[in-house]
Amino acid sequence: MSAEPGGARLFDLGYRSYEGARERPARAMATLAVFTARRVLGLGRGGRHKVLPAITLAIAYLPALVSVAFAVILEDLPVDDLISYGDYAFITGSALALFTALIAPEALCPDRRSGMLGLYLAGPLDRNRYLAAKGVAVFAVMLLITAGPLLFMFVAFTVAGHGPSAGESPGLLLRILASGGATALLYASLSMAVASFTTRRAAAAVATVLLLFVPVSVVRSAIESAGAPNALDLLSFPFVVADLSYRIFGETPDDASPVRELSTGLVAGGVAAAIAAGILVCWLRYRRLEAFR
Amino acid sequence: MPESLIPPVISARGVVKRYGRTVALAGLDADIGPGITGLLGSNGAGKTTFISLALGIRSRDGGTLEVLGHDPAVSGIQMRARIGYAPEHHDLPSELAATDLVRHLAEMHLLPHRAAVQRANDALWLVGLGEERFRPVGAMSTGQRQRVKLASAIAHDPELVLLDEPTDGLDPVQRTEMLDLIRRIGTEFGMHIVVSSHHLEEVERICDAVVIVEGGEVVHAGTLADVRRGPEGLVVEVDDRADELAEILTERGYEVTVDGATLRLGAAEGIHDAVRDAVADLGIGLRRLGPRGRTLEDVYLGAGK
Repeated sequence: MSAEPGGARLFDLGYRSYEGARERPARAMATLAVFTARRVLGLGRGGRHKVLPAITLAIAYLPALVSVAFAVILEDLPVDDLISYGDYAFITGSALALFTALIAPEALCPDRRSGMLGLYLAGPLDRNRYLAAKGVAVFAVMLLITAGPLLFMFVAFTVAGHGPSAGESPGLLLRILASGGATALLYASLSMAVASFTTRRAAAAVATVLLLFVPVSVVRSAIESAGAPNALDLLSFPFVVADLSYRIFGETPDDASPVRELSTGLVAGGVAAAIAAGILVCWLRYRRLEAFR
Repeated sequence: MPESLIPPVISARGVVKRYGRTVALAGLDADIGPGITGLLGSNGAGKTTFISLALGIRSRDGGTLEVLGHDPAVSGIQMRARIGYAPEHHDLPSELAATDLVRHLAEMHLLPHRAAVQRANDALWLVGLGEERFRPVGAMSTGQRQRVKLASAIAHDPELVLLDEPTDGLDPVQRTEMLDLIRRIGTEFGMHIVVSSHHLEEVERICDAVVIVEGGEVVHAGTLADVRRGPEGLVVEVDDRADELAEILTERGYEVTVDGATLRLGAAEGIHDAVRDAVADLGIGLRRLGPRGRTLEDVYLGAGK
């Protein structure tokens, strides 16, 4: 410390004991969830880490932007010519799958590869809390793409007073959250389960894409040629997600997928079972994982 | 407070840990007190396993363990918030700047954001990385990464710091600097430190106490002062005819053991005069005459036998 003629002082205290407040243990989960969400979106990282999330988000939001633009500019355009809420999951299915393949691997794999998992577990977290924080982060980021564009359309159509269901359905907001939430939860749990098996992001991303798309053709072949039960279509996750969305919004698709033939109860049960299976696999993997080295 | 009444920082009784059929810890008993304690043992002795049990990351198969008054298996979350840990491995998120990594881990240890930012910088300055704190960890040398790990372990001002092989991969100069730094942190900032190492001289240089682990058991535990004190008596080193000198002293009733040119004598009345006279009678050169004492190496090698 030095005293200046004018009375100003320079303090150079350096490292010292900390006497201030400390957060509750639950804060560690929130810190980890926010850190993970920022990381998977490339925030606070170099430009190359922002490219893929930005492209995927742009693909996911583009149909909503175009639809809103048409609704605002062409006020005479029939509402049926605009993209409906139920159509959205079908239209953006590829972007959603790509996003899914990026997020969970980025959220989980580097921690095991770099040894950060051990450092986290050496702090006020246990495996369950660690996974819960990661799950919340992946789910929240998934919501950006599953519910974000729909919420944008909902607000824009309502403000413009023109568009599908504008001002007509008081429960529409809940349907948007239910549709986006169910899709985000399903894809988050499946991709986290896949990512729990490898420390390599690329391998996890490829495996996630395979999990989402390979069953689509395999299941159809099994049903049509081998007479397998139609319920196997519940493994065609992109179709299930699109169909669930139509059912939640009470819409009928122009081109019905095979999942359409299944009852709503069966589809809802299948989605719940897939979510539970994904969470269970991930939890079991982390329970046995050697985090300390 | 008398030393005997100070509660141990870590107390282990009969701690057992198995990996399948391999027994990593076979009923380990140890009391680790305040100050800086060296956890000494060869590779595979069970040091890292013991640290992982103390952190509550692994579950033990038997025995009782208390760290800062808590059982890590029961109240690990509360306990770990008060502990700093630096792992043996050097893998850290390569793209993160050192200051971001240390701040993030400080926040993970429940420091508010603003305090974490400030203390991350302070800790990095303390370990000598003030100017380098914005560099990505992946672009740092092994020595710098060791310092980043140390800064991460102390940024949240823990009560107990567990350092697993903190000098691994360092050159002699870096090793000396790191040891000085650990000693300074332990003495100036009041943190209890447990340093795992397989280097005797490191433990002897900076630690107040030592726990020697071999084959999953504690073979010696105590303060360095106790270790050095050793048995009473004299050690004598001569340049020739050590056996004859031993014979003369034995005839005069003293307890003597010979190891090459070195004689170790038990404590006895008039021992100094007896050695002087015997050496003079034989006309040999006396290289060393001093209290018997022990080094940590004596204890370590003795424990291994």
